[in-house]
Amino acid sequence: MSAGQAVFSGWMEIPESAVRDEAGRMAADETLAALVSQYAGTLYRVAFSVLRNPADAEDAVQEAFLRVLRHRRTLDEVRDRRVWLIRIVWNIVLDRKRRAKTRPETDDVAELARVLPSDGLSAEEMAAAAQHHAYVLACVERLPAKEREVLMLSAFEELNSVEIASVLEISESSVRSRLFRARNLMAELLQHARSLR
Amino acid sequence: MNDPGQNGFSNHPVAAGELSPAEATLRLIAGLPAPQGLEERVRARLAAAPRRGRILSWPAALGLDSGWMRSAAAAAIVCVVAGGGWGVYSRVQRQQPPRVTVLAPRGPAQGSFASSGAVRTPQTLNGPVVAHPPAAPPAQIKDAAKTAPKPVHRARPAAADKPGGQAAPSAAK
Repeated sequence: MSAGQAVFSGWMEIPESAVRDEAGRMAADETLAALVSQYAGTLYRVAFSVLRNPADAEDAVQEAFLRVLRHRRTLDEVRDRRVWLIRIVWNIVLDRKRRAKTRPETDDVAELARVLPSDGLSAEEMAAAAQHHAYVLACVERLPAKEREVLMLSAFEELNSVEIASVLEISESSVRSRLFRARNLMAELLQHARSLR
Repeated sequence: MNDPGQNGFSNHPVAAGELSPAEATLRLIAGLPAPQGLEERVRARLAAAPRRGRILSWPAALGLDSGWMRSAAAAAIVCVVAGGGWGVYSRVQRQQPPRVTVLAPRGPAQGSFASSGAVRTPQTLNGPVVAHPPAAPPAQIKDAAKTAPKPVHRARPAAADKPGGQAAPSAAK
């Protein structure tokens, strides 16, 4: 074999490291596909609770999984993937909300009535319920950011205080104290609204 | 995974009172189902995402995987970058400092009056006044010289050639 052929065969040769990378990539893709089918719905609900816009929430979920795709090699190092994914999408939606600085779409009562489920309610009852929910959400928006975040995450049944603390990267005692303050503030806001009516 | 409805926040003492409507609203929104086909759309987006480019490996026949070769390549790159930077630096001329002559401020001398900013201007001397008309141009002078009659030379008297002889009386006399 001449020197030129040797060089050419060297270029054409597939190194073992590349084969290992390919196998690892395939495994990571399979893991990612499993994560999508398992947690896409949860992430969507988390995103929707903040953005309150179906299109934006879905876009945030896709962006979260794209970030996971970029770091798919480190998936094995993640302990609790569910909390890790929720933290990713939580940061994304908070960042988007900060940038947008716009009123959420479903603060419109009609839009909220369209999104919320109607369990055998009449049209009038649906309109009244939507108005009530819109008002409550407006009060939630008036809470301080730290208290509001804890209150919104506590609404997710599948997240306990330890997991909320992990998502927000604070201690569990901070979660409980912030939640206590949030509930008191909400009580004051609702009481004030009732007295004005 | 936790049991739904048992995240530890529902039995809060305040929750039973004022906050039940607020948390009910938040839980209602948090429990909204995901839209149909969300997983498929996410998978399609992931499939369309650009993957990282494959890196070609050095040919094994050249033996470039060794450490000294990488070090030599790194040193060559550093030399090229440093040389290029030095070349640019040496060609760029430094900015010359402006040459400014600082004049001493004009101020009144000690013990004298101020000039109030007045500047003394020397008087312009009057030049000589030409009384005669200007001379003719040189071309006219040449023409005049050509047309002028030639002077008649008188013959010298013989006595003038002789030493000790008397010159002839001039015509003026």
